[in-house]
Amino acid sequence: MLFPTATFAIFFLIVLPLSWLTMPHPHRWRPFMIVASYVFYSWWNWHFIFLLAGSTLWNHAFAVAIHRARVQSQRKLLLTLAVVGNVAGLAYFKYYDFFVSSGDNMLAVVGLDLPLSIRTIVLPVGVSFYTFMAISYVVDTYRGDFVPVSLEKFATYLSFFPHLVAGPIVRARELIPQFDTPRDPAAVDTSRAFYLIATGLFKKVVIANYLAGAIVDKVFAAPGQHSSLELLVGVYAYAVQIYADFSGYTDIAIGVALLLGFKFPQNFDSPYAAYSAQDFWRRWHMTLSRWLRDYVYIPLGGNRKGSTRTYVNLMATMLIGGLWHGAGWTFVIWGGLHGTYLVVGRLRHGRDEAPPVGAALWRRRFVTFQLVCLAWIFFRADSFHTAIDMITGLFTQWGQASPLVTFPVLLAIAVGIGSQYLPARIPRELMERFSRLPVVAQAGVLALGLMVTSVMGPEGVAPFIYFRF
Amino acid sequence: MTAETHPTGPRRRRRRSTEDGRRALTAGHALVIAVLALVFACLLNAPGMHKRAFNQPDGWKRDVALDVSAPLADVSHALLLDRPRKLLQRALGRSSEDQINTAVVFTPPPPATSTTPTTNPRVPRASPPPKPHKLAFSPSHPLRLWIAGDSLVITPGWAIVRASGRARAIRPATEAPDGRVGTGLERPDVFNWFTYIRQQLRKLKPNALVLEFGGNDDHSYMTGLPKGVSIGSFSSPSWRAEYRRRVGGLLDTATREGVFVVWIGLPITRSPAQTQRYDIINSIVEAETRKRPGHAAYVDTYSTFASDDGGFAQYLTNSSGKEELVRAPDGVHFEPAGGDIIARMVLKRLNEQFDLTTWRKHPNG
Repeated sequence: MLFPTATFAIFFLIVLPLSWLTMPHPHRWRPFMIVASYVFYSWWNWHFIFLLAGSTLWNHAFAVAIHRARVQSQRKLLLTLAVVGNVAGLAYFKYYDFFVSSGDNMLAVVGLDLPLSIRTIVLPVGVSFYTFMAISYVVDTYRGDFVPVSLEKFATYLSFFPHLVAGPIVRARELIPQFDTPRDPAAVDTSRAFYLIATGLFKKVVIANYLAGAIVDKVFAAPGQHSSLELLVGVYAYAVQIYADFSGYTDIAIGVALLLGFKFPQNFDSPYAAYSAQDFWRRWHMTLSRWLRDYVYIPLGGNRKGSTRTYVNLMATMLIGGLWHGAGWTFVIWGGLHGTYLVVGRLRHGRDEAPPVGAALWRRRFVTFQLVCLAWIFFRADSFHTAIDMITGLFTQWGQASPLVTFPVLLAIAVGIGSQYLPARIPRELMERFSRLPVVAQAGVLALGLMVTSVMGPEGVAPFIYFRF
Repeated sequence: MTAETHPTGPRRRRRRSTEDGRRALTAGHALVIAVLALVFACLLNAPGMHKRAFNQPDGWKRDVALDVSAPLADVSHALLLDRPRKLLQRALGRSSEDQINTAVVFTPPPPATSTTPTTNPRVPRASPPPKPHKLAFSPSHPLRLWIAGDSLVITPGWAIVRASGRARAIRPATEAPDGRVGTGLERPDVFNWFTYIRQQLRKLKPNALVLEFGGNDDHSYMTGLPKGVSIGSFSSPSWRAEYRRRVGGLLDTATREGVFVVWIGLPITRSPAQTQRYDIINSIVEAETRKRPGHAAYVDTYSTFASDDGGFAQYLTNSSGKEELVRAPDGVHFEPAGGDIIARMVLKRLNEQFDLTTWRKHPNG
């Protein structure tokens, strides 16, 4: 079920009142929300609800066992088994074909065959997100940061539909305590919720979908057929597209959760206003960044084992982050580039760099954005060959006609980037003013927003980019 | 201070605020706003909703959607609530988006110039005779190629665009392949290819046209039927006759403009039932292209994308011995490597029809 569809609107209008009606009775609310979330998930492919249920049972069983175990070695063994199980599931569904075809092609160089065949496994939507959430739950239990809850509560947490398919990656200790405290039906932050839903829809349907169709898909499909200017603008357009697409989804998810009475963590904070790679990762997909920091970088040793090891850990973390996004070498290169940026940034500026000011700030922002865009080329390209064609074309195809570089494309890019430099008080004031309107007027404003989004967006509903991760 | 002891009156409730100081509302208000916003949005967007309802696949869902959206559109129109949408559409140059056009109209044949009737019923009377010599093209005088069709044409279309850049004597007539998702020849209401192709042929003036249709046409429902005509279920004689009329009509529309058509056939798919339905469409298209030798060619992708045992192949071994992913995970569409294979087949057909290489011998001539 996609958020910007009539199906979801109907689903949500049924779930919203029922959720609030059952809220005072947690023993009713939790089963209700599990059923609602499984219905939401089964809309794509009902077979995969068994995978979600299996993941729930597996991780709950191990979390309880780890909590009960008194011997450290036993706890460690249980944790290892739980994490291996999660990673194995993810590897099978997401990476099996990638590993088999890569292995086969490597062995073919020396005339050997891999005794495994490709299976064309369908990727269950959201599997990367809920697997990471499940791993954090088990690891937090092992670390003593969290006491396992009942199976019912854990199932509600893992399957909660607003975050289920594309995040944010919400920690158990952020969400489960909210399940334990009935939300106050008299104090719903509706203005923020509706603001996030409306802007999220606009970002996805108008900005992201428009840029995809108008320039991005075209230049990445045939880089050799486009001018350097088109390629350059196409790369910037992709930077805006992926931001508008993913942050748009997250905004809607956070808004939907707010209407149900729950608070999710922020996932984006003007990432293209970052002045360094480190700053970028504090602002882009923030819940993934902190997950990688807490469950990969720090367990690897973080910065506690000397500078060389810190750099190795940074690179390893980003390579894993790259591979998490997709089963392909282009994603590994994307992660490697960001790892390199972080290492070089650490070498040049140290760990706790004070933010630059004045002209230096703008210069650093500009350079950071170019470096991020360079990495996006590998992220978006369907192959290494296409990425190299894009980069080569950026330098060698000047002077050709550039019909794809139009005013609406440049405007959409300007809006996408410019919005990240808006003072925080502007959206706050907008929400404040919206909240003071009478209920009917609020509905009217939202309806106008929906109409504008519907007219300005291309026909059809394109899936969110992060659904494939 | 509780609500009950508020000085302005015992019944008046204290207004709640969020942490940021905004006015918070009750869950009931949230529901009211959401419902009202959707109702208002439905009224403001009623013409678009009606078109979307009309474009749905045939069945009870479409019937219900039409029953709801038609009166909604009437109410919206009567209350002038459809005006803002129309104004915005006009400002964006998208005024025609809510129109439903089901007309299946073909270019009328030119008046007969000969009194001798053709003796070969396989050659349509309106088509000009096959050209005796290959038309030559070069980088300075390139062949203009237009690529159009449903979603299946997009990936092969891009591969053709890339390959034509290397061939140099071919230039795409548009920036991108004109592939439109979810469209076909059965449902002109969803997208009217018959009108669009006629208009684009005159606007773009291509020398050759690559078409691919049928991926969404394996159903029993068609719109735009001639008055008094009804069709049976998919693959029934009446269905075949109407689909044949549409394929033949499109081919004639192109050939009358002097455009050579390469029609890419539908591939084998992961679903045997779907493949069987695609076979029926392929047989009609292939037969129609055969009726127009020298004006149209058919590219058979079925066998190319079948495995050694004749089944569906997701991966194929390329000339270097490497396994390449050629089909998308959905088991229907193509991956770029699959598109490259089709591009080579299409270019072969174009090379058979046109002289695209002689210029290499006389690059300055």
